[in-house]
Amino acid sequence: MNHSLAVVVIASGVAYGTPLLYAALGELLTERSGVLNLGVEGMMLIGAVMGFWTVQRVHAGSGAILVVAIGVAALAGALTAAIHAFLVITLRASQIVSGLALTIFAGAAGLSSYLGNDFNLGDNPARHQFHAVFPARVQRWPIVGPIVFGQNVLVYVSWACVVAVWLYLTRTRPGLNVRAVGDSPAAADAMGIDVAAYRYAHTLVGGAFAGVAGATFTLAITPQWVDGITGGAGWIAIALVIFAFWRPELCLVGAYFFGALQALSPELQARGIHIGPTELWANSLPYLMTIVVLVLVSASSTRRWLGAPAALGLPYVREER
Amino acid sequence: MVAVPAASLVFAFFASGLVLLATGHNALSSYRRLFDAAFVANGALGQTLVSATPLAFTGLAAAAAFRMRLFNIGGEGQLLVGAITAAAAGLYFGGSGGPSAFAIAAMVVAGCAGGAAWALIPGILRAFFRTNEIITSLMLNYVAAYLLTYLIFNTQSYWRQTTGFNAAVFPTSKDLPSSALWPGATIHLRGGILLPLGAGFAVLAAAVLWVLYSRTRFGFEAQVLGDSPRAARYAGMRTRRKILAVMAISGAIAGLGGASQDGDFRHTLDADPNGLQRQYYGYSGIVVAALARYNPFAVLLVAFLVGGLQNAGNTLQGADFPSGLVGVIQGIILFSALGGELLVRYRIRISRRPAAAPPAPEAA
Amino acid sequence: MRGITKRFPGVVANDGVDFAAATGEVHALLGENGAGKSTLSNILTGLYRPDEGEILVYCRPVEFSAPRDALDAGICMVHQHFRLVERFTVAENVVLGDHRREGRTFRLRYRTIERRVAELGERYGLAVDPRARVWQLSVGEQQRVEILKALYLDARILILDEPTAVLTPQEAQVLFETLREMAADGRTVIFISHKLHEVKAVADRVTVLRGGHAVATVSAAEATPRSLAVLMVGHGLGEGAPPKARAPGEVVLGLEDVSAAGDRGGAAVRGVSLAVRAGEIVALAGVAGNGQRELAETVAGMRAPTGGVVRVAGKTPRPGDPRAAIRAGVAYVPEDRLGTGLAPSVSIASNLALKSYREAPASSGPLLRLRRIRERAVELIQRYRIAAPGPAAPVRLLSGGNLQKVVLAREFSGQPKVLVAASPTRGLDVGAIESVHSYLHEAAAAGVGVLLISEDLDEILTLADRIAVMYEGEVVGETARAEASVEEIGLLMAGGNDPRRD
Repeated sequence: MNHSLAVVVIASGVAYGTPLLYAALGELLTERSGVLNLGVEGMMLIGAVMGFWTVQRVHAGSGAILVVAIGVAALAGALTAAIHAFLVITLRASQIVSGLALTIFAGAAGLSSYLGNDFNLGDNPARHQFHAVFPARVQRWPIVGPIVFGQNVLVYVSWACVVAVWLYLTRTRPGLNVRAVGDSPAAADAMGIDVAAYRYAHTLVGGAFAGVAGATFTLAITPQWVDGITGGAGWIAIALVIFAFWRPELCLVGAYFFGALQALSPELQARGIHIGPTELWANSLPYLMTIVVLVLVSASSTRRWLGAPAALGLPYVREER
Repeated sequence: MVAVPAASLVFAFFASGLVLLATGHNALSSYRRLFDAAFVANGALGQTLVSATPLAFTGLAAAAAFRMRLFNIGGEGQLLVGAITAAAAGLYFGGSGGPSAFAIAAMVVAGCAGGAAWALIPGILRAFFRTNEIITSLMLNYVAAYLLTYLIFNTQSYWRQTTGFNAAVFPTSKDLPSSALWPGATIHLRGGILLPLGAGFAVLAAAVLWVLYSRTRFGFEAQVLGDSPRAARYAGMRTRRKILAVMAISGAIAGLGGASQDGDFRHTLDADPNGLQRQYYGYSGIVVAALARYNPFAVLLVAFLVGGLQNAGNTLQGADFPSGLVGVIQGIILFSALGGELLVRYRIRISRRPAAAPPAPEAA
Repeated sequence: MRGITKRFPGVVANDGVDFAAATGEVHALLGENGAGKSTLSNILTGLYRPDEGEILVYCRPVEFSAPRDALDAGICMVHQHFRLVERFTVAENVVLGDHRREGRTFRLRYRTIERRVAELGERYGLAVDPRARVWQLSVGEQQRVEILKALYLDARILILDEPTAVLTPQEAQVLFETLREMAADGRTVIFISHKLHEVKAVADRVTVLRGGHAVATVSAAEATPRSLAVLMVGHGLGEGAPPKARAPGEVVLGLEDVSAAGDRGGAAVRGVSLAVRAGEIVALAGVAGNGQRELAETVAGMRAPTGGVVRVAGKTPRPGDPRAAIRAGVAYVPEDRLGTGLAPSVSIASNLALKSYREAPASSGPLLRLRRIRERAVELIQRYRIAAPGPAAPVRLLSGGNLQKVVLAREFSGQPKVLVAASPTRGLDVGAIESVHSYLHEAAAAGVGVLLISEDLDEILTLADRIAVMYEGEVVGETARAEASVEEIGLLMAGGNDPRRD
């Protein structure tokens, strides 16, 4: 089907952006509670490998196994995040070092690679994978066809997640509480909110989301296992959260934007269009923009409107009674 | 001081052993093979030095900054930019013949300058705009990697090979001229171990760093500033200048690591997507620094050990050896070091009970 | 509250205190710092548990094991340091505080909440936009949010801790009206303060605490500022050693109409003029929070003045530059020892060299002479009898008294011309206090001009040659020690000269 460049790029952007979106939503929740988790890449890879393993090794006839696989991936991600949570919340270790250690432990050349090789997962493509949901006829509709209707169920679920996270943060009491924990843990503590519990919960959920994000790679995008298949997406997700000013709806926009940028260069090449430094700019743009955003949110005048949860990265110590 | 890291190492090997057993491997024999491949086998030590040298540089870079609570995560990018600038210097000043002190010196200077400049970006943003240096330096790692790729794959830049048969077919970077290649010293032990020049520079850098931090006013101020910015202000110290200086030093060391990659090992500017960029020396360096508790000489030692581990992992990769074990072990070591240190600190607190002041009943 | 006693290591904060407040009244708790007001209120809100005594709410005995129990009993406190999340709106903050079991919802309907907040605001004169973000509000408005939180929970007993410390006079008036409204509603308001005119303006009854004891409970209408001051400060305080026969030298510290801004933007120091001569100890009396800290920081160069000039020994060091002040000869012993005056994880020896490390003999050129620094540290540790494991130990291991000795040792050894000491004996035991006093005398004897900032009248009377009183950013009175009267000073400290009083 001969779609225009823009449509193809956007459609691919949505596809590539979905794991970014999942991971970013997870990291967003974690950071909103005040915990910085740099181990997203590692957690994604663990989710990817465990999800894939489920599909390959657990004997089940139908595609329902895919649902189980996603569950396993989420669980694996959460367990991995639990290590980080324990170290930084209970032991109050450096969140940066712990997150990096997590990436090394679980990432490419780490546990995920170990498991992948041990289970010989690299040999075969996935036995089941996520396919597009809507019939081919609908997918052929101009513009919206490929972009909206050409996606698999994980994409649609991600949209639901964005809405859910948004509702959670803005309209529910636990959402209010977690925002307080991330911005002003002392005030939250004084209000009787259990800071540690909220941080644990949100870090684990963040890990679960990252696990699902990883499984998106191995079960939908390139349905096979390769060591390090996520290719740095975890780091992009971390940047994405900042780029989105810690708002779920902007995560959606940003994820597809970054995804589209990733899809841009190969598409241009496939069409034989070479524009010198465009590739450099296209690839660097997400990161440069994140820096700009970060400067903006740190400047005192805008910090309160746009900024990070004020207590992000800082361990919480209740003052002596 | 040493007890905690040592204990964490033991614990880590124990825990990794459990992982191995759980997946049906023989832990002891795997460890034996690791040790062998890292240090004992023929040529192992030399290879370990190859792996350890960049880790020493990035470890020192991280230690230099982290000691002052400046979290420079950008060692990776600073190393890459240093490699770029050093390669340029090598190409420009190098010629034929044996190693030229001038060319090498130029590469060293250029590498340091490139790394320092790259590190000053997050440094300036932090000093003047109070922007968190963790994320900015992290982002710039990506930009540096793309820059590197761009220079060789997307343009006809100075670094790119434009003549020769392959040049038209597949983008490669120019080889460094022979006088820009860094020599090494051969130790006649076990069939000859090559000590790269870069390793020597790393030792030198560690010494300089050590003197700087423990024997100079600069180091004194850095220590106070890292511990208590308020006390630093009280004592009249100039914060902003210090931040810039420390970031520049950190970046310079990482950049020197990049120069060493060019001159010692790769003999070219390695822009291969699976080459220098995939080694993630920068990130591993942070781990090395953390394990070494930011002490420059300890960094050298830890870099050597971790380098051995990396080397063994690379050598043994194959169907019959659990790949990824290296990462697992490294990760667990770090986790236990992190956890152990804090447990120790808590115990000190509990037993010492300093009683700074009885909670004075504060009214107004 | 009956017979409440609470002990902390080294001090009895409350000693057999009886306190009773009735519904529909505004009851003031008056006393200086250290008198035990905060401890008592912390017990009432469930933060501390009393060692002895009992609490009765509506004549029923209660026990609070956690702050939540007190909240359940209808007791709510508005603290001096607000517990608000700055980024949240007013409505969000109010709802955050709602921990009640019934009536809580999972889903938050902000329109309903905002409406209720607006209603409460109207009713009690606490108008505030429920949609505004807290950081946008003035301090007075933020305080209103805190009160609204309590009203939202329908608190029956409200405790306010020094509420007017952050308010302008106009805002304070509005607050008093609000409190009267709440009392008229049948609630009980407990108002903690050290300011006499306020207490007279708003309270029905006053209980005075001094030294952990409840000294008296009187009707506000019948008491006079003077009678209250006497109760607060007590008779027959040690008149202290007679002033030293020391001819003061020239002026080493001159403050000319100095003004400085506080951390929150308002003016903390308003046109202060003061002179300290060599060999003289000038005490700046006053309750904490009246601008003393900001004044000390201005003299030490840590804060840039918004007006006026600071002169040290005839020269004018660059304002706002601590290094310039240090070079000019200003030594500063800050109130916050471990946070500002010392670097906690750094060794004792390094801390002792914190100001002298730039020059010989501590360093030569860019290099430090570590041995010299260590030797000097050992010298100072011996001379000042600092109990420490060794010069290399991190300073945070030391006890409060020894921490202060380190700071003093460092500041004196720099041979300063001026020494600013802010609450130097705070939190120290008797022996340490003695040491500090003797060092201050030593300094004065050596010709240093000492500016002592303190809330402790005993200490001031023991040490000072001249006494000035600081209240709400201004110096409201100055007298020589020989002519000083304790009541007069206490009165000034509590705003007795305040034209607002009845």
